[in-house]
Amino acid sequence: MESVGTDEAPNMGEREFKSCDRDDVSHLSLDIGGSLIKMVYFSSGSSSPSDDQKHSYLKDGTNTSIGTSNHNGLRGKLHFLKFETSQIDECIKFISSKLLQNNGSLNPGGQDDKDLASEEIIIKATGGGAFKFADLFKEKLGIVLDKVDEMSCLVAGANFLLKAVNHEAFTYMDDQKDYVQINHKDLYPYLLVNVGSGVSMIKVDGDNNFERVSGTSVGGGTFWGLGRLLTKCQSFDELLELSRQGNNRVIDMLVGDIYGGTDYSKIGLTSTTIASSFGKAISANKELDDYRPEDVARSLLRMISNNIGQIAYLNALRFGLKRIFFGGFFIRGHAYTMDTLSVAVNFWSKGEAKALFLRHEGFLGALGAFMNYKKNGFTDITHQFMEQSCEIAQDLVCKDEDI
Amino acid sequence: MDSLGERENHQELNIGINGNLNIDKLVADGKSKLNLDTGKDRGSTVLGKEEKDMAPMAGNSIHRSSSRPQLDLSGAAIQGNFEEKDPTILLPNQSDDISHLALDIGGSLIKLVYFSRHENQPVNDRSRRIIKARLGITNFNRRSFPILGGRLHFVKFETAKINECLDFIYSKQLHRGGMDSRSWQIEGPNTENTVIKATGGGAYKFADLFKERLGISIEKEDEMNCLVSGANFLLKAIRHEAFTHMEGRKEFVQLDSNDLFPYLLVNIGSGVSIIKVDGDGVFERVSGTNVGGGTYWGLGKLLTKCKSFDELLELSQRGDNRTIDMLVGDIYGGMDYSKIGLSASTIASSFGKTISENKEIEDYRPEDISLSLLRMISYNIGQASLISYLNALRFGLKRIFFGGFFIRGHAYTMDTISFAVHFWSNGQAQAMFLRHEGFLGALGAFLSYEKHGLDDLLVHQFVERFPMGAPYIGGNVHGPPLGDLNEKISWMEKFVLKGTEITAPVPMLPPGTTGLGGFEVPSSRGDSLRPDASKLNVGVLHLVPSLEVFPLLADPKTYEPNTIDLSDPGELEYWFTVLSDHMPDLVDKAVASEGGTDDAKRRGDAFARAFSAHLARLMEEPAAYGKLGLANLLELREECLREFHFHDAYRSIKQRENEASLAVLQDLLMELDSMNEESRLLTLIEGVLAANIFDWGSRACVDLYHKGTIIEIYRMSRDKMQRPWRVDDFDIFKERMLGSAEKKPHKYNRALLFVDNSGADIVLGMLPLARELLRRGTEVVLVANSLPALNDVTAMELPEIVAEAAKHCDILRAAAEAGGLLVDAMINVQDCPRERSSSVPLMVVENGCGSPCIDLRQVSSELAVAAKDADLVVLEGMGRSLHTNFNAKFKCDALKLAMVKNQRLAAKLINGNIYDCVCRFEAADNSN
Repeated sequence: MESVGTDEAPNMGEREFKSCDRDDVSHLSLDIGGSLIKMVYFSSGSSSPSDDQKHSYLKDGTNTSIGTSNHNGLRGKLHFLKFETSQIDECIKFISSKLLQNNGSLNPGGQDDKDLASEEIIIKATGGGAFKFADLFKEKLGIVLDKVDEMSCLVAGANFLLKAVNHEAFTYMDDQKDYVQINHKDLYPYLLVNVGSGVSMIKVDGDNNFERVSGTSVGGGTFWGLGRLLTKCQSFDELLELSRQGNNRVIDMLVGDIYGGTDYSKIGLTSTTIASSFGKAISANKELDDYRPEDVARSLLRMISNNIGQIAYLNALRFGLKRIFFGGFFIRGHAYTMDTLSVAVNFWSKGEAKALFLRHEGFLGALGAFMNYKKNGFTDITHQFMEQSCEIAQDLVCKDEDI
Repeated sequence: MDSLGERENHQELNIGINGNLNIDKLVADGKSKLNLDTGKDRGSTVLGKEEKDMAPMAGNSIHRSSSRPQLDLSGAAIQGNFEEKDPTILLPNQSDDISHLALDIGGSLIKLVYFSRHENQPVNDRSRRIIKARLGITNFNRRSFPILGGRLHFVKFETAKINECLDFIYSKQLHRGGMDSRSWQIEGPNTENTVIKATGGGAYKFADLFKERLGISIEKEDEMNCLVSGANFLLKAIRHEAFTHMEGRKEFVQLDSNDLFPYLLVNIGSGVSIIKVDGDGVFERVSGTNVGGGTYWGLGKLLTKCKSFDELLELSQRGDNRTIDMLVGDIYGGMDYSKIGLSASTIASSFGKTISENKEIEDYRPEDISLSLLRMISYNIGQASLISYLNALRFGLKRIFFGGFFIRGHAYTMDTISFAVHFWSNGQAQAMFLRHEGFLGALGAFLSYEKHGLDDLLVHQFVERFPMGAPYIGGNVHGPPLGDLNEKISWMEKFVLKGTEITAPVPMLPPGTTGLGGFEVPSSRGDSLRPDASKLNVGVLHLVPSLEVFPLLADPKTYEPNTIDLSDPGELEYWFTVLSDHMPDLVDKAVASEGGTDDAKRRGDAFARAFSAHLARLMEEPAAYGKLGLANLLELREECLREFHFHDAYRSIKQRENEASLAVLQDLLMELDSMNEESRLLTLIEGVLAANIFDWGSRACVDLYHKGTIIEIYRMSRDKMQRPWRVDDFDIFKERMLGSAEKKPHKYNRALLFVDNSGADIVLGMLPLARELLRRGTEVVLVANSLPALNDVTAMELPEIVAEAAKHCDILRAAAEAGGLLVDAMINVQDCPRERSSSVPLMVVENGCGSPCIDLRQVSSELAVAAKDADLVVLEGMGRSLHTNFNAKFKCDALKLAMVKNQRLAAKLINGNIYDCVCRFEAADNSN
């Protein structure tokens, strides 16, 4: 069992799927984004925490699970996985292995994902890739992707998590993580900021009541893409790790750099405020190679997080929203990212608004698609989830006796 | 000014300055005494009568140790029209008259704004004084204006080349300018106490350098303050300063300065500041972002190895961001995500495509990287600003302006920002840009000098001029300024134009005409656009405090002088061709007017090159010089002629035609007097229309001239008049004048006659009409150009023509006497003009311009005063009644008379043909 925010670099190419990984898979859903494929599936097999250790060979560090049970009283778990979209074959291989285990079905009950007439397997999928790769899934796996609207999924996933999982949301300031108990009745409206490759900002007013009010193309894809060009990192996580060791003052132009070390207090800017991201690279007679990749990664991360935080805050202000939830794979529980987002929201709102993060941040869409299976009953039992382990935030089970 | 000795002048020139004048150095006629009245305000017509061409100061001049100020009188010469009294003295070796200077020293550019005053022709000869007396301008004193006329120059240098900036300041002696000439005189060459206002981060950084090199201290002004006051000034004082930019198309916006606040100002420098401006000096920085121009340049430099910001921008022009950015279509397999309004080509993730491909930085084209980066940052700024804007809407925010060095008039940047604002506001908000975007800070610093009075200036007091170097400019100043006319001409001779491509270096511009310099190296190449093609040129702002809005305009706010909008590419191309075709003939005339000497030929050639370059620049980017109307284009040509010292290209033609026409005037007047009232009025109007055929601005007419004499053409033209004319309101006008069975005749109190051409037009057309009005007891004010334009008659020439005509006609004589036009024949007329004559007066005023067209928002204060009692306006000729003002509405009755000598205009405007006539009468519009 690994947390989403692992520092371990994915090693997708070498991954294998062992046949010993036996669990009954049902209700698999996908969120195929521009950079990553997020997968959620329910397993009803052996599901003690120790069994989950078997999953550790999934080196991308994203196999997480929520234990639950269905109406029949079976214990079960929700599993969370991710793949890089560019490595979609891995994903297909994985699903294929599950299909073999389950004798060609992804639903032992056979009620939902199988069209009885055509014998086709249907799985719920969202994200742009659900359109783009529909033919590939059909061809390779004989699976029909039932496309579910991306925004609806994000919102459904977020609503589910915020209602069903205790301590799903937390604030993060100065390395201090504080869980926030959300009162279900006082959840709406809020701003949901999903930071994927790009960023969507959605005003959520109720269960199925939302509006995409803004967004920006400067998101996780930008961090990873630009970062890759600038640092030659091989993975997103490597880039994130680099940024932890960097110092952005080397490259960013600070207010103090312009004002000779003094604050521009008249407009409330301290000397350490970034005046211009990468602005120092202008005047220094340096090439890219003369900068430490760590510092570059740090500046980049700050630039993008700060920008997202600011645009999110401005939108929250515009619609009078007090709570901003950040989700999406860009964040990855990365402390500095969250810190920067929090600081941006805090700075611009003068402490009025709060940035909140979700432990299942990356899986909102996939979870939302999962919720879309009509008869899975999950929507009704949201209260039945509980944390299995406080240490591993994502590991949640639902006790039998709750039913 | 080129050579004083060529002409005689008998004026008395009084030296009126406290200082050690070295008379020996004066290169002046021995009979003359020079009037060096530099400290005093003498301006009246400030229309760039002359450029003051200054040679770079000799190196030692700055260190002159005299305790009293000295004027450098070497090479002194009379400047301007030698017919005038009290001509200005040009001191070519004296630095520009006192200047104010302010700087904005940014990370990559130094922006410099300076003000140069210039001496104007004092028009205080006797006849003028009398007219002023008649018009009731009793205290017509320039000192009642807050400040003197002058010019505001905008210059920029690269910060990396700060030495060039220092050289420029030094060579123009800008650092020695005080708040007024007196303080300069007191301080003299001593610059120790001189304090120059500056803003921008570099104001601290380079303070020591300025002290060391120029001996001046830098006083740092708050950056935000400067930005805001600069923007406020521009938005209030400069017409069409703001424009929108969507899909490559610029639209200039006229703002009501009373309805400006609050607005949002987004200044994109290294970082971005978003400022809510509530009034002069009242503002709040509501937001900002650290992703700005510095990010673009910094990241771009790391990614592309570009050496300069401009290089990076230029790269982007050839880029394709689709290789770098992840588009919605990339995610959705080529489909739109229409449910939330995202098209397949929307960028989902900037730089997102570089994730998945196994490519290194070297595998991407720098062009594509630059474009992706530019798009990302522009879009982000647009978006952040828009949301700030939306948030500020509840404060009643009206508009959102973008400025700052990042934009640089770059079309793609502006388009992206506009798109972001448009997209995220669902088309409710529009981004606006400023023509002087890069100069907000410097201008603000300039305005922070106390007591210069510039705050009070109004939009009609500025005239923007684009001197000869303008077409090549957009870049920075390099090297010292050009010295004199000769250097100007050499400069023009150095480069060759092939289409719009400049293949030779573009050097500095002459100091008297512009503050802008050229490129160090040619930047255009091959078939690619010049990187600054979309960039807007910033001209020199001529400050003319005596200009006013014509008081009889029905609604000055909605008034638009131009009838022809040249933003229509078809129109522009047509007029481009017309003006190009007309050029050889014009050059011939111009050269002949200066005696056809080799010098004149050389100047003529330089003029042709310069004007062609202007035209080429405007074809490339019609909005380069701001909102472009036909009037602007025609005026540009006149200005360009003046720049090469062709002060009156049609001088001899005008004279010849005036003489020929005056010779037959008596016959015409007798013919008219034999008619009854009604047919006389018709014949008079016919005469005005017929005589208007004499127009050297019209190709068709120039061809006609070769076929007959003036009188032949005039009579033929009049005889061919077939009523009804294409636009024929004569009967309404006649009823108004003469009355009818139902209505009584109307007696006008005062008529303003805007006259057009010399020769038959004025003598056989307008003067007889004026005479008829005088006869009916109406005061007549002839309104003529201040400066020559084509063969248009000028206010300077009119008294002589009237005096000549008066010899043949008692009515004209009495009226001219009453109006003070015949001063030579009278004694003490100015003491008691009214008692001397029982006639209503005939007067002449200048209109304040030097163009074949007229923009009634900027007329001379004399005309404005004369208009106060007027109840009839007659606009005559194509330039003033068709090209401009055809649709103008007046508070009083207006008669617009013209013969259309251009097939295209005839077809477009009146659905008619060439030589069709327009007689449009409009009763007073008092709806406002």
